[in-house]
Amino acid sequence: MTVLVDFSVIAVLILGISQFRRPAGARLGNWLAALALGCAFALVLARHGVDDVRTVAFALAAGTAAGYALARVVDMIHMPAMVAFQHGAGGVAAFLVSLVELTRVGHGLGLIGEISGVLGLAIGALTFSGSMIASAKLAGRMRQAPQVLAGHDGWALFVLVALFVAGGASFFATAGLALALYVAVIALGAGLGVLVAMRIGGADMPVLISALNATAGLAASLCGMVIASQLLIAFGATVAASGSILTLVMCRAMNRPFRGVIMPRYKAAPAAAREAAKPAPAIAAAHPGPNSSQGGAPPATSGRDDLTVAVLALAEARTVIFIPGYGMALAKAQQEVANLAATLIARGKTVRYAIHPVAGRMPGHMNVLLAEVGVDYEMLVEMESINEEFPATDCVVVVGACDVVNPAAVEVEGTPISGMPILMAHLARRVVCCNFDLQPGYSGVANSLYLRGNVTVLEGDARHTVASLHERLLAGGEKSASHTAPPTAQDAQRQAALALAGAKRVVIIPGYGMALAKAQFALVKLASRLRGGGATVNYAIHPVAGRMPGHMNVLLAEAEVEYEDLLEMEEANPMFADTDVALVVGACDVVNPAAVEVEGTPISGMPILHADRARQVIVCNFDTRPGYSGVANPLYLYEKTIVLPGDARQTVGDLIALFDEV
Amino acid sequence: MSNILLMLAVFLGAFLIGYALISRVPPLLHTPLMSMTNAISAITILGAVLLFAQPTSPVEKVLGGIAIFTATFNVVGGFAVTDRMLRLFRSRERQS
Repeated sequence: MTVLVDFSVIAVLILGISQFRRPAGARLGNWLAALALGCAFALVLARHGVDDVRTVAFALAAGTAAGYALARVVDMIHMPAMVAFQHGAGGVAAFLVSLVELTRVGHGLGLIGEISGVLGLAIGALTFSGSMIASAKLAGRMRQAPQVLAGHDGWALFVLVALFVAGGASFFATAGLALALYVAVIALGAGLGVLVAMRIGGADMPVLISALNATAGLAASLCGMVIASQLLIAFGATVAASGSILTLVMCRAMNRPFRGVIMPRYKAAPAAAREAAKPAPAIAAAHPGPNSSQGGAPPATSGRDDLTVAVLALAEARTVIFIPGYGMALAKAQQEVANLAATLIARGKTVRYAIHPVAGRMPGHMNVLLAEVGVDYEMLVEMESINEEFPATDCVVVVGACDVVNPAAVEVEGTPISGMPILMAHLARRVVCCNFDLQPGYSGVANSLYLRGNVTVLEGDARHTVASLHERLLAGGEKSASHTAPPTAQDAQRQAALALAGAKRVVIIPGYGMALAKAQFALVKLASRLRGGGATVNYAIHPVAGRMPGHMNVLLAEAEVEYEDLLEMEEANPMFADTDVALVVGACDVVNPAAVEVEGTPISGMPILHADRARQVIVCNFDTRPGYSGVANPLYLYEKTIVLPGDARQTVGDLIALFDEV
Repeated sequence: MSNILLMLAVFLGAFLIGYALISRVPPLLHTPLMSMTNAISAITILGAVLLFAQPTSPVEKVLGGIAIFTATFNVVGGFAVTDRMLRLFRSRERQS
């Protein structure tokens, strides 16, 4: 009889879940699941009763009030953080119940109960700590970027082994010792959760949240095995199934193995290199002196014209060689250099880095710094091999290097550097120097390179100058970069508004940037204007757009978009060829054609939304920098693409105003 | 022994049925789905209340009380927020 009742409650739960096949039935499904849970709760009360009614009633009331209050006020953009936080709360409940059951005297649990209990402790604690980290990252209370400790894998393995040892030992220990071991299991489980969650960031968060969903379910199921409750086991198992499915779906949508997300390998940065990179900041910090002003105010000296000349030199070049020096390390400009290089490569240019043996503060210093930001080591060329290539090179970009490119070393006798082998940058057709100032380097010998006719110097913090080079290059260095920016920006907006006015079919592609700019409401307004003009408007949703599975759908639903207008990737992709305008709002990696066209990038093989197949593309992104993957987006450079950089809400608002005008 | 087998069978059965059903949930509803299953995972509230089925020591009271509080927070918050989200999903037909 009891079993029959239990199974009918489980049946109600399953009926509820099955309602999620269609959006129309989902609300009912949610209440059916809640009803099933309520019935299960009532059954337990009826069967076992409560000894301490006051404590139970108080905890129930407080939990209800807190849960309901938070659920009412949470923003849709913060839903991933909210869900992660709730996972954490569930994790706490799971390991506390297991702990009390395990330590309770007077009733034997049996071996299965004990094993489940110890596993429940570990998985509950892991769910708790992992969720708290995930939630803090998503709510912006913690840096979102992945954080990697020295020897991260080693620590994780150590904690895992210690977990098994402590858990195993607890079966043989006496009551007092067992308690200590249980607490150790909880602490180690929590430690493992932290280690796993801390090095996952940004666009990988959907995988982490889905995986924590699965572990929360598993913890509940294990809890059920401890107290031999079919209800708990079944309810937990469905959640574990759901979390597993979502994890798989997210991994597939990024074309990455689960292992690769949980234990990311940073390309071309082996453990040894990471170790070697550690002393670098310490050295930099130990050398205040003349360099202490680095990274301060942006340079005032680098004239507009010099920048334009440099941008044009880069835009016209077919072969580019970067020469990094210690100044790059001081300015922490390596990421900006790598980004610029990625854009140049995406434009079909040959890019390499020339590494002088003594560049930097230790052997191979530059290699490590560049490897750290994901530069392929095959692009790093030693001095002997690359020197003969400078005469045939269109453009050399010197970043924070001085003595190692000083022609005086080979041309002038009797200086401290005479006879020192240098990188023959001065033989290239054009040279762009992104150095802090024109002072001599460590040797004290004035650098005659700066005075040559084919050399352009951009003084100032290298991080800033390289970034502005990159920006100007993306903003249209292809044609003439000499025009002032404001009118062209307005022209681009007008052009975009005209394209929208003439379009019969528009597909909008939202990304996390839309959520950040809270642009969805303006976007919906624009969509209804377009519909009023007789156009068909749809939204194409990439499975991993946003920070948790289905995030974009919720945000757009909040902005009153009908769900028939939300297209999944498979539905949307065949439509693009027949689409007049693809309007990208705050999405980057998910529309990056490099994913299907270029081999060997972090996103190669990831399925994307083919905005590139539309007749015209309008991009309302904050800037033209690469997305989370770090891969430059060639879509921005297509002739049919109009890029409208800036806050998406503002841009879309401007588009509406212009659309009404035309 | 039969008890263990029954428990494993229940786990596997529920997992497989859940897997089959949830595979058919459209990506449109993935966020509400996760938020609802998140509420379901707080079924540990049953275990937490069961702790109080017999007389409890002060330590057990505190731990059990926290467990009930966090689980209730998870259940109520999870279902409520899911409902709030699902109310946002609107259809053209139903609107008019």
